[in-house]
Amino acid sequence: MENMESVSNEEGRTDQFPVGMRVLAVDDNPTCLRKLEELLLRCKYHVTKTMESKKALEMLREKSNMFDLVISDVEMPDTDGFKLLEIGLEMDLPVIMLSAHSDYDSVMKGIIHGACDYLVKPVSLKELRNIWQHVVKKNIGSYKKIIAPSRHLLPTSEYAPSGSGKRKEKADDSGDGDDDSDRDEEEDGSEQDGDESSNRKKRRVVWSQELHQKFVHAVQQLGLDSEFKYRLYLKKLDEGQQHNMSQDAFGSRDSSYFHMAQLEGLRDYSSTRQLSSSSLLTRSSLTKFHPSVYSSVNLQGSNSSSFIPPGHHQSSSSSANPFGTYHSPLLARSQNVNLSPLEPLQFPRSKCSPYMGDFKGIADRGISSSFLDSRMSFGSSSTSLPCATSNNLMLQENFGVSDGNQSCLNGLSSFPSHHSWQGNLKTTTRFPSHSLPLNHAFGQDQMTCGGIGLGDYNTSLVSADSHVGVLQCEPPFLGDFMQNMNTHKWEEQNCTMMNNTFGNVDYPLPVDNNMVFRDNNATRSKGVDDSLMMSPIEDSATTLNSRECVGNVTMMDPEMRSSTKLENDLVDNQHDVFDDIMNEMLKQDENNGMVSVAARFGL
Amino acid sequence: MDTLVAQLQRQFRDYTISLYHQGFLDDQFTELKKLQDECSPDFVAEVVSLFFEDCEKLIGNMARALDQTGNVDFSLVGSSVHQLKGSSSSVGAKRVKGLCVTFKECCDSQSFEGCVRCLQQVDIEYKSLKAKLQDLFNLEQQIVQAGGRIPQVDI
Repeated sequence: MENMESVSNEEGRTDQFPVGMRVLAVDDNPTCLRKLEELLLRCKYHVTKTMESKKALEMLREKSNMFDLVISDVEMPDTDGFKLLEIGLEMDLPVIMLSAHSDYDSVMKGIIHGACDYLVKPVSLKELRNIWQHVVKKNIGSYKKIIAPSRHLLPTSEYAPSGSGKRKEKADDSGDGDDDSDRDEEEDGSEQDGDESSNRKKRRVVWSQELHQKFVHAVQQLGLDSEFKYRLYLKKLDEGQQHNMSQDAFGSRDSSYFHMAQLEGLRDYSSTRQLSSSSLLTRSSLTKFHPSVYSSVNLQGSNSSSFIPPGHHQSSSSSANPFGTYHSPLLARSQNVNLSPLEPLQFPRSKCSPYMGDFKGIADRGISSSFLDSRMSFGSSSTSLPCATSNNLMLQENFGVSDGNQSCLNGLSSFPSHHSWQGNLKTTTRFPSHSLPLNHAFGQDQMTCGGIGLGDYNTSLVSADSHVGVLQCEPPFLGDFMQNMNTHKWEEQNCTMMNNTFGNVDYPLPVDNNMVFRDNNATRSKGVDDSLMMSPIEDSATTLNSRECVGNVTMMDPEMRSSTKLENDLVDNQHDVFDDIMNEMLKQDENNGMVSVAARFGL
Repeated sequence: MDTLVAQLQRQFRDYTISLYHQGFLDDQFTELKKLQDECSPDFVAEVVSLFFEDCEKLIGNMARALDQTGNVDFSLVGSSVHQLKGSSSSVGAKRVKGLCVTFKECCDSQSFEGCVRCLQQVDIEYKSLKAKLQDLFNLEQQIVQAGGRIPQVDI
């Protein structure tokens, strides 16, 4: 079945694309394969089918451009669907995975391995009608040049490459202008997506100064109104910090302020989605207040519960409880706490100190400021999910890290799987059913997680378990972060590695939980908070896991900052999620030797 | 007085509806029917035959595996069940698919009794469906032979 037909360009695709798109269908189940073939034929694709993955690999290797797309079952007992996936990826072919399993782990595994889509059997005609888009995505350049003009998909004048700012806009946001400009924007966006997705495979993205500038710019656009408040809060925090690091004092002092500021700040924040981005971005404020920035990020700078000044860091272990105490009232008071619950969590332990120092240095470079900004936005829009983690300790510890990745990682790991989160997030944000949230932020092409197609997926971050590789994430601030991010072999990464990656955090974190980041859109505007907002997958264990996840999410924050699209959406569900998180957190038993949640909350 | 064709067509319609209502078939079978057209006039019969062949083969595999008393490879049984589940769901064999779910659980819990029971039920169920679909196809043929058109049945 290798009759190639009606080839009209050097790539073997017809001008009638997607008609005639050459699909290689692989499934060892003859019933399913025959049905799949018929479905594909109904879509007017050209179908080559085989029940043997070996045969499929042969065909792929024999002639590199024999097919436009591969669609393959993953659970073939005698053959390995993932092997096919690898080959397809090598050849830059889009590979769609088919499976009867729709559970989170399976989907995650498929996506992590680089599948450009994951379809659950039984597949419908509707789903298959749109798979051609994956071919376009992979070859966006040539399609623009060859196919699109012939089908009048682009304006007659050559498209102008758009900046990343434009890229951050969603296609449906570009409601202004005529059709051509809309299409142009979409094309540009998708072009960037395509380029970036192929870039993800081809080279590592570096968090360059340019990216950083863009990120900062985006954050600044998010709002500057709360800057003043934030400064005030930072000042208070600083005072409080300097006076004593004792748990009670800190908690009480800050808590009163916190509540005040929180209520005010939260109101403002919720309504205006403001970020004190500009203030955060100033170096002086960063270097001076950087510990508090983290904590304050959540409550618009008014909550510094998790803030630990560098000096204090050494005795951070004693300060762990204060945060717990602090946290408790915070949680009790407001359901609109943005990220603050996350903040109050225990500050990083001794591991943090190296980061503290680093932070200052980084601040000068403006990186940390962006991180802080992202934290802020996170705080404002997130529903303080981090607080709801059972492994508060881990979360707290990680949270205070200046470079964020550590804290993010830890925070994530301590996130409980909570069904309601998923539900909550889902209601607020939109995301494709098959999307991978975590990757969504990455869709901005800043980061790639294991080569997964980003931008299309929900933020579902699966913790490392036997099925899913650990996502190795490093903060964008680290030089080799992107490199790590780009590793495809997620399974080879493990928690230990994650710890090391993130700066020597070596306290044990549970690795057997699955944390799911739901609705990446939601997290986009939130930054760290979003990362902490993990909605558990129904099928996954309830224990928290994946420090990597946390880190990953954190990484996404800068990218997320650029989009506040979902902030408002999330605000509405904040208190629902918050309650759920809190409940979940309180219910979680410590399973890794950490301080119990209740204790951390001072209950 | 109804013509033969009309009678047959009514019989066909009623029988089809009853199969859906009794849970033998689900919407995936409807999808199969939609894929049948002038280009692939025997598509449904073809796929359904493939399915029943699958059933035979897989049930045979499972029976053999379960026969290895004291050394039953439940994972092998489980993977066969998975295959069967995939096939049955793609053709709309609702009852068979439902049994596969239970069957899978027995495999996971390595319950020999449970697996044997499920296997028996699956065997009965697929044969029963096979007989019913055969009747349905026969009706179709009779309608065509009587010069009529096979009615479109909307469930």
